[in-house]
Amino acid sequence: MVKTMLKLGIAALVAGCLVLIYLDAKITATFADKMWELPAKVYARPLELFVGADIGSNDLAYELKLLGYRNKSQLRGPGQVAQENELFNIYTRGFAFVQEREPARRIQVAIAAGRVSSLTSGGKNVELMRLDPVQIGGIYPSHGEDRVLVRLPEVPDTLRQGLLAVEDRHFYQHWGFSITGIVRAAVSNLRSGQVVAGGSTITQQLVKNYYLSPERTITRKLKEVLMAVLLEFHFSKEQILESYINEIYLGQEGPRAIHGFALASRYYFDTPLEQLGLHQQALLIGMIKGPSLYNPRRNPQRARERRDVVLGVMVERGIISQEHAIIARGMSLGLNSRERPRDSYPAYLDLVRRQLRLEYRDEDLTSLGLSIFTSFDPLLQRQLEISTQTVMDQLNPGGNLQTASVVTRFDTGEVAALVGGRSVRYAGFNRALDARRPAGSLLKPAVYLAALEQPQKYTLATPLDDSPLHVGGPGGQVWKPRNFDRTSHGSVLLHRALAKSYNLATARLGMDLGLDQMVDMLRRLGIEGPIPEVPSLTLGAGEYSPMNIAAMYQTIAAGGFQIPQRSIRDIVDARGLPLKRYPLEYDRTVSLQAVHLLHYAMREVVREGTGRGVYRYLDDDFDVAGKTGTTNNGRDSWFAGFSGDLLAVSWIGYDDNAATGLTGGSGALKVWAHFMANSSRRSLSYRMPDGVATSWVDNESGKLTGEGCPEARLLPFIVGSEPPGSTGCTARKSSGLVDWFQSLFRKE
Amino acid sequence: MRGIGQGLAVCAAGLLVGCGTLPSGDHAPVDERPEYTDVTSPATSIPPAVPPPVPERPAVNGAARSLMDKADAAATNGDFERALALLERAQRLDPDSGEIYLFLAKTYRAKGDLAMAGAVAERGMLYCAGVAQCDALRAHIN
Repeated sequence: MVKTMLKLGIAALVAGCLVLIYLDAKITATFADKMWELPAKVYARPLELFVGADIGSNDLAYELKLLGYRNKSQLRGPGQVAQENELFNIYTRGFAFVQEREPARRIQVAIAAGRVSSLTSGGKNVELMRLDPVQIGGIYPSHGEDRVLVRLPEVPDTLRQGLLAVEDRHFYQHWGFSITGIVRAAVSNLRSGQVVAGGSTITQQLVKNYYLSPERTITRKLKEVLMAVLLEFHFSKEQILESYINEIYLGQEGPRAIHGFALASRYYFDTPLEQLGLHQQALLIGMIKGPSLYNPRRNPQRARERRDVVLGVMVERGIISQEHAIIARGMSLGLNSRERPRDSYPAYLDLVRRQLRLEYRDEDLTSLGLSIFTSFDPLLQRQLEISTQTVMDQLNPGGNLQTASVVTRFDTGEVAALVGGRSVRYAGFNRALDARRPAGSLLKPAVYLAALEQPQKYTLATPLDDSPLHVGGPGGQVWKPRNFDRTSHGSVLLHRALAKSYNLATARLGMDLGLDQMVDMLRRLGIEGPIPEVPSLTLGAGEYSPMNIAAMYQTIAAGGFQIPQRSIRDIVDARGLPLKRYPLEYDRTVSLQAVHLLHYAMREVVREGTGRGVYRYLDDDFDVAGKTGTTNNGRDSWFAGFSGDLLAVSWIGYDDNAATGLTGGSGALKVWAHFMANSSRRSLSYRMPDGVATSWVDNESGKLTGEGCPEARLLPFIVGSEPPGSTGCTARKSSGLVDWFQSLFRKE
Repeated sequence: MRGIGQGLAVCAAGLLVGCGTLPSGDHAPVDERPEYTDVTSPATSIPPAVPPPVPERPAVNGAARSLMDKADAAATNGDFERALALLERAQRLDPDSGEIYLFLAKTYRAKGDLAMAGAVAERGMLYCAGVAQCDALRAHIN
């Protein structure tokens, strides 16, 4: 009998040890993992402020709103703004940028006529400063948990002390659990009739948070206590407290759990933890007991009462004075004005993630706490979304016609805004990156550019043949392209053939040059992926995304320089040290002079050709260049174009390839022009490169003629390539009328 | 009748000229004109149109200037990456400045990246103001 009992006892002991070893391994592994699991934060470009900066009051107010700056009549702390018409008093939050810290400070910004007219701080002029950048999203682990890690020294004293006072008074004395604590809490709960404190220590709560399981069984409680003891054995009080502060469950945002005080601080108050007011700290502490029960948005009265109880405890323990508690009790809950969905810009974030995944593993992106600084511009994005919605609602109210747009700053190749579909908030199919559609006439500039690179054979004044054309293919197939208006136009000068987007002239030109030339040009312009080497390539055959097309037009807009499309500027690690910089890169791949001539024809597109509709939106003296694109049966409506600062590509179509009834000019052009009219700040300036000069030519024959002669038109030529023939008409007194091209020379 | 018709035509022309040469509003036009190039066609004596030469441009704005000063200090200390980062930021603030392109070209050259120095200089030619600046940029083009 004794022997059996002994055997059973030893077996139980062994089993118990095994369980202990298992629990030990589990808790230490979880603890270590959690300490290091930090998602990456993705930031928009910081708004630069300086005298002369192009920004209107509405835009500045919007940026501050996105940043969560609170409107106050008097500024008391960082993250607040007082606006009076076009004068802004801002208490900035400051930010640790790469290699430069912007301090938190009070500034005064005056705006006049859409620009900063004065920028001062403490009465002194400020030459240049940056607001803190908007966080536009993050890269989270697959379980969707987000966290903002904070180190214990960064936690406000009152918060730390208040937390311990309410949740675990003897934290520093116990070994992970406290029997007396449990008993005492039960007694005081009975006595006061309200739940003031729970029985679990902070260590126990930490364990519970790691393995959120709803059962309330004795086995579970025992496991919890054991693991708490093991935790205390392995880690210091500071480590445990810090982990608790970063781990404790404080609410839900849809499918995502809000863990930790720092994240909760941002979620509820749009404020960094260290800038929280006492009343806000007390509210968060109070929510630990029941984040749903005390949800300040759903149950504000209950949340307020709970907060006040916490403030009472803090006074009782001498953490704060009675006066401070009274002031704090008098404050509103201090929530941010409205709930902002975290990943508001799914299309752009998608682009950033893809660019990151080329170089970083998923586990690094979701755990190293990287800060990703992008070129995303929330102001441009807002306008792009407004323009998209406005035009799409006009063209197809309540329908499922789809759209996508890409906006870049072509000087740097930086992608500034992206729309992946009509429902801009929806993280679905990203048409800007993944739509595969024929480009229609959008590829024509490549044909003309290839031609213009041979100035001895082709100039803007070269007559092209826009008559019917048949091209034989393999297997006896014959390709018979047609013009959009179903007519042929005979002999047309090269510039006009592009401006009017004549298919026959273009197809013939492409065949004369050779398809290999065309493919080569498209590659040099930056088109990646498969390019079908078929005659209909001249008219847009193949499958391209708006982003591909943007790469091509980027090179054209930049003057023949291929500049890689970038969305990321810098990556910084969790300690704030620069990890990687994405520098500017240029590669001149196309003749500068030929691109310059192409610009002429693309300006003509919008002044006289298929893109004329832009001037229903733009001021007449605002210069831009562009190209329309329409595919068979209007299945795709495209417009690509640029001003002096921005390049944009817009596409409209149905996902199932149905006919839209739109052309490039009646569809995508409207999104483009609406956006540009409201966003672009600089007209496309005119600057002739070396080796280019203008000459007067006869617009019918392409021969040289004199200024003021009939049909005389001023065109740019690569020096030495001017037409050999002449009309014989000599220059005469001009009527004084200038066309849009001549007026470029006269801009003061 | 003919006189009235001529008069109307002149008025219309005057109006159109006025409209064509009105100063723009908010969109401040760039004060640039193409370089003068003398071209004569061998077959005819019709003179080509001659646009005026490149004028001087206002100096780079104060904000960009402060960044350029920092970039200068960084480059002097041999920290070319920081200098380039500052110059890129300056360029975002003042994209039309040939001076910034020139500084970029010089910095790339000092760093040893001749290809980028040439490419940046070539792009800068689209923005250079004044003969001296344009010549300085041209010198960097390979």
